[in-house]
Amino acid sequence: MTDRRALLQRAAPAVLLVALGIALIVPAPDALRLAVDDEAAERWNAALDALPAEATVLVAHDPDLGTYAEIRPTARAALADLMARDARLVFVSLTPEGRALLVAELARLERAIVNRARLLDLGFVPGAEAALVSLAAGPTVPAEAEGAIARDLAAEEVGAIDGLLVVGGNDLGPRSWIEQFAPRVGDLPVLAITPTVLLPEVQPYLESGQLDAALTTPREGAAYRAAVELEPLERLREPVEPSALGVLVGLLAAIVVLGQAWGARVGAAVRGANREHEPT
Amino acid sequence: MSGLFGTETVDLVATWVAAAVTIVVLGGLFGERRLFGWSQHLLAGLATGFLALIAIDEVIVPRLVEPIADGGADRLELWLGLALVGLTAGAPWLPRIVSAVPISLIVGSLAAFALGGAVIGTVLPQLIAATTVDGESTASTVTSALGAGVTALVLVGFLHGIPRGRVLSSARSAGRWLLVAGIGGWLGYLLLSRLVLLLDRIGFLLGDWLGVGR
Repeated sequence: MTDRRALLQRAAPAVLLVALGIALIVPAPDALRLAVDDEAAERWNAALDALPAEATVLVAHDPDLGTYAEIRPTARAALADLMARDARLVFVSLTPEGRALLVAELARLERAIVNRARLLDLGFVPGAEAALVSLAAGPTVPAEAEGAIARDLAAEEVGAIDGLLVVGGNDLGPRSWIEQFAPRVGDLPVLAITPTVLLPEVQPYLESGQLDAALTTPREGAAYRAAVELEPLERLREPVEPSALGVLVGLLAAIVVLGQAWGARVGAAVRGANREHEPT
Repeated sequence: MSGLFGTETVDLVATWVAAAVTIVVLGGLFGERRLFGWSQHLLAGLATGFLALIAIDEVIVPRLVEPIADGGADRLELWLGLALVGLTAGAPWLPRIVSAVPISLIVGSLAAFALGGAVIGTVLPQLIAATTVDGESTASTVTSALGAGVTALVLVGFLHGIPRGRVLSSARSAGRWLLVAGIGGWLGYLLLSRLVLLLDRIGFLLGDWLGVGR
């Protein structure tokens, strides 16, 4: 490897980081505005509007660390939106990763002095698919839980739940809930917030109506966040929106890296072919 | 970026620790392997500790030990559960035929739940949704037919070791290319997620730590 090539390899990540940093600070032009996909946001709002007054919503919080950054602003806005609509939120996690992130989110809600009586944490339920089946049979309310939600849930079991919101990641996302939970509880509205990587998995359920609404891509999330009114819980909204310019710069860098790898492969193949044709 | 970081000492310490670890991880890009390896060990240690904490605090004690202690000594399923936990914990020192019991139960039950759920929750409803033709537009019908065609080709792509003619070989090749295209698309989505994560971390360093743009 030449000195110039080694220097380039060292400098490239620094250039990328600096470029991404600048892209985060510089305001993005209107052409790169993310909040344009109104259809998904409208379907989402229609699903929320269809919930009964003071609905009890089961929030299945199982995102993963690798993709949570993508859906976090939308998930936080959705929780604030539900609370602004006077919904009662019952949280549950089926993965340790989701539980860790949920603990942080609940701490954040407590810091924001949200009405704690409207929140119930069912904790971590082990067993993956088996846990979903047991939740459908009746969630186990923690012994120390108090308040109206805990009482209703203990008395009516899953009948006390008016809607399901799945904040999903790679494990136990909307597909698992639709396969294991939804068929056992009857006609329950199911909403999902997932990273883009789960779009191919979620789309068929949206088309078939098994999923009432979903916010899956950054555009859909941005459109929902731009439209939603969170008063008096505006403080729960993330103060900084994701940078479309940063995403564009990063994607361009990825294309350059892919092109370089492809070019190196093609070059090696050409050199190999030339060597075969060289006279011995 | 919680957006709700306070200004108390503990908040400042948390921000500085998070910033330091983020810089260490990003340092891996520049060839700084020792600190990067240390941060990986730190993550693995924290994850293991957290898992152990959850297992003890939210599963074993409240769902097993406490019910037994609270007068459930005659409940056979609890003792059976406790025995399975013991077998799993003692697996390295037990004969394979004994230690395989809890693992077999876990794998078998998970497979049964997953398969049943997939049929009831996905295969049947999706088949019904895909084959309903009343009032369907031509475009929708064509899309459904294309979907069925792609599915069939990809399935043919998995055929191995059976006699096949030119048509089946072509279909198999097409199925493999479609599979590769699908994996490529999936990797593209994954790239987007990871890119947003990288931007989030840079945003954290600039905004929450250095206060740039706030």
